[in-house]
Amino acid sequence: MGQANIWTYSGFFSSLFSGLFGTREMRILILGLDGAGKTTILYRLQVGEVVTTIPTIGFNVETVTYKNLKFQVWDLGGQTSIRPYWRCYYSNTDAVIYVVDSNDRDRMGISKSELVAMLEEEELKKAILVVFANKQDMDQAMTPAEVANSLGLPALKDRKWQIFKTSATKGTGLDEAMECTELHVHV
Amino acid sequence: MFAKLKKKIAEEAATAPRGGVRIPRTISKESITSVGADSGDDFASDGSSSRDDLPAQLLRRNDQIRKLEAKLSDYAEQLRIMQKTKDKLEIALEKHQDSSIKKLQEQNESHQANRAKMAEGMALALEKKDQEWMEKMADVEKEKAALSARLEEMMEQSLALFQKRDDLDELEGFQQQELAKVKHMLLRKEEQLSQRERELQQKEAEAQSAKRGLSEARGKLQVLQQQHEESCRLNSELEIEREDLLLLREEADKKIGELEGRCQELQSVIQQVSEDFQKSQSMVSTLEKSLHDLQTEHDVLKLQQQKAAVTEEDKERLLMDLQKKVTSLERRLQGNLSQDEHLQELLQEKSSLEESLEETRAELLAVRTNHADTVSSLEAQVSRMSCSITELQTLLRHKDDSSRAYRERTDTQVANLEQQVLDSSERLKSAEQQITDKQQHMDKLQGVWSAEKAFLDQQVCLLQQQSQEKASRLEESIASLETDKQTLQDRVTDLEKQRDDVNSSLRQRTEELEQCRTELDSRQTVSIEIAKALEETRRQKEELQTQVGELAASLQTSQQELSTVTEKLALREEDIKTLQNELQCRQASVVQLQEEAERLRAQLQQMELDRDSQLISLRKELLSQTQQLDSCQARILYLEVEVETLTEQLHSPEVCEEDQNGSVTVDDLDHIQKVNRELEQQLSDKNRTIKQLQQRLAELKRTLQKELKLKPEPEAEGKEKLQESRAEKQERLCPEPPPASAPSPPTSNTMVTNTSDLNDSREINFEYLKHVVLKFMSSREAEAYQLIRAVSVLLNFTREEEDMLKQTLEYKMSWFGSKPSPKGIIRPSISGTSTNWS
Repeated sequence: MGQANIWTYSGFFSSLFSGLFGTREMRILILGLDGAGKTTILYRLQVGEVVTTIPTIGFNVETVTYKNLKFQVWDLGGQTSIRPYWRCYYSNTDAVIYVVDSNDRDRMGISKSELVAMLEEEELKKAILVVFANKQDMDQAMTPAEVANSLGLPALKDRKWQIFKTSATKGTGLDEAMECTELHVHV
Repeated sequence: MFAKLKKKIAEEAATAPRGGVRIPRTISKESITSVGADSGDDFASDGSSSRDDLPAQLLRRNDQIRKLEAKLSDYAEQLRIMQKTKDKLEIALEKHQDSSIKKLQEQNESHQANRAKMAEGMALALEKKDQEWMEKMADVEKEKAALSARLEEMMEQSLALFQKRDDLDELEGFQQQELAKVKHMLLRKEEQLSQRERELQQKEAEAQSAKRGLSEARGKLQVLQQQHEESCRLNSELEIEREDLLLLREEADKKIGELEGRCQELQSVIQQVSEDFQKSQSMVSTLEKSLHDLQTEHDVLKLQQQKAAVTEEDKERLLMDLQKKVTSLERRLQGNLSQDEHLQELLQEKSSLEESLEETRAELLAVRTNHADTVSSLEAQVSRMSCSITELQTLLRHKDDSSRAYRERTDTQVANLEQQVLDSSERLKSAEQQITDKQQHMDKLQGVWSAEKAFLDQQVCLLQQQSQEKASRLEESIASLETDKQTLQDRVTDLEKQRDDVNSSLRQRTEELEQCRTELDSRQTVSIEIAKALEETRRQKEELQTQVGELAASLQTSQQELSTVTEKLALREEDIKTLQNELQCRQASVVQLQEEAERLRAQLQQMELDRDSQLISLRKELLSQTQQLDSCQARILYLEVEVETLTEQLHSPEVCEEDQNGSVTVDDLDHIQKVNRELEQQLSDKNRTIKQLQQRLAELKRTLQKELKLKPEPEAEGKEKLQESRAEKQERLCPEPPPASAPSPPTSNTMVTNTSDLNDSREINFEYLKHVVLKFMSSREAEAYQLIRAVSVLLNFTREEEDMLKQTLEYKMSWFGSKPSPKGIIRPSISGTSTNWS
């Protein structure tokens, strides 16, 4: 999938070079509302530890190696004021990890609208969508099915999507999610 | 005052429409009851506050306000009435003032009259005082006379004092002269004393020298005593030595006696030894005789031996002859061969002869051996004898030697002893001589020493006597001098005492004088003061007289005034009382009004709170409605899908029977559509209400922001909320299209944000920009390439600028290609049209 896209994007040379010297890095965006646990997930994936985070004003980019595959993972800040800048990072994206706080029932609607707006973007038409129903370790957490429904995922067309229940602090569900993502991206 | 009231009314009018439920009881009781009833109704309706009743509430409030305004107009009228009364009161006050001025003038007049009266009284009193003063004056003059008398006395005293002073001066002169004389005498005596002291010192020096001589003599004496002691010691030593020597002599005498005894013993021994010697000599002679005998015997034996040897030679010669005969006979035989018998006989004879020869020879040998044996035994005897002789001779010789040595020794011993005795006696003699010499010497020395001692003792006695004499003399002189000195000192002290006495008397006199003078001065000053006081009293008297007149007049006037003023005061007080009553009434009304206002304010606050709570509930409702809406949408979608499928089914002839839901008829469809329409209706209604509510919310938020302008953080939050609400609104609005159309995702024009929002939030997102730019600069090129878009959006780059940036980065990343030329981006953009990048 990625290889086929190379020639269509303006990032032609970089793709060419990375193609010449080893495998191309998969580009993954981690998006979601503020406080959903994006940064914690990123560093859990990269170093396997729970780090103490502060609200991300900006973004974090890390290279995560999973099964000899390199992922260039971008964790974009999810605060309301900087959400508009997400679309600046959409180009050349292979997969979008959309993180949802399963306990935040109030803002599920906002989360949904942001997701829908994101999926509208032309640059992300080819990207696969992986939804993380995060914070499953909490008691009041919504089930993945509930989350999927409240995000309107079943209504999506022309889009591969997958939902996983995860807990970034406990580390559960992340491996399966990454395995699936890797499989989908690599096909 | 009126303006203030109006203002207050206006304020109340401004605040009244907001709150104000319970109207306080004021002047008109009708209004109280009616309004109270109304307010109760209002409260009840408020209690069940629902958002539908809001306009009704507002209407009611307006009514209330109108009522309040009516009441306020009543108040205004009342106030006008009050104003009128106030004017009246002012007029009355002016009147009062005029009357009071008049009264004051009257009072003044009365006061002046009083004053005149007072002055008369005072004049009388002054006259009395004047008489008293006159009496006092007389007393003072008497005192003055007495004082002048005393002054004269004092003058006399002072004259006497002057005389005394003169006498004192003379006395002082005499005293000084006497003092001079005494001093002169004292000096002389002191000189004498010093001379005496000098003499005394000289004598003391002499005494010291004498003492020194004495000490020297004593030293000599000590030396002599030491010598004497030494000589005594020597004497005793010598005596001891003498005794030792005497003992030695006795011992020597004893030894001599012993030696003599031994000598005698030795002589007897010597005699015995000589006798022994004689005996041994006689024995020696006998032994020599026997030796001689033996020697002679030995000689005899030797002769015999020689004889035997001669005989043996003879026999051997005989034998030789016989053997020659034999040999001749054999030759004869040999010459007579035929003669055998002869021969045989001859041979026989020869053998017999040989046998006899042999026998003789044996005999001879035997004799010879016997002889030799005897000789040897004899020789042995002789040797033995000689041996004993030699032994005896050696013995003798030894004895001789020993005796000789003994004798010699004894002789030497005796000689030595005799010599010793002689020596010791000689030594004794010399020792005795020495002793005697020494004793003599000692005696001499003792004599000399005793003589010297006596001499020295005498000298010492003399010196002591002399020194004692001198000392006694000196002491006497010292005592006399001291007595002189004491007498002199006594005199000096006496003189000093006299002087002191004189001085003290002088001082007393002078003090007395000074006292007298001071007394005089004080008396003079007193008299002057008295005169002054007299004058002052006169002046005071006059003043008092005038004052009394004035005061009497003023008293009269003041009394008159007082009576009038008291009357006026009573009137005034009554007025004041009435006014105070009025004022209290007014204040009570004002307080009531204030209470009303406060109640209205409280109501207003409550209303506001209610409204806030309503707002919150509305928001909650809104949320629930949105949720409902979501669910409705979902249902609608679902229904639409169903409808579609159903219509399809309807259109297709064969699908009538089979359906997902089991049995779906046209009726059902209609019913569903109806439901759908109803739901849509509901939805539109709700949307409308939501819009209204949102508008209100926006307004409220605006006011809130105004209030919270100073605090930046809440403002940001508010803005965010606003944005969110807006977003929601947009969202809500978008899924409204008719249900027949397929549920397509929102179009691009329903973007969550637009550029205007970006511009708004640029200030807030400065931090974001900073972070992105920092990352863009620090990250590797692949990542930086991804960030170009973000940077250009944040910094509002034009399309060209963004492209340039991309090309530059590509050039940096690639190995070939040329550096892209800047297309007018470095310089400030001329066009300035920032075209949208999307």
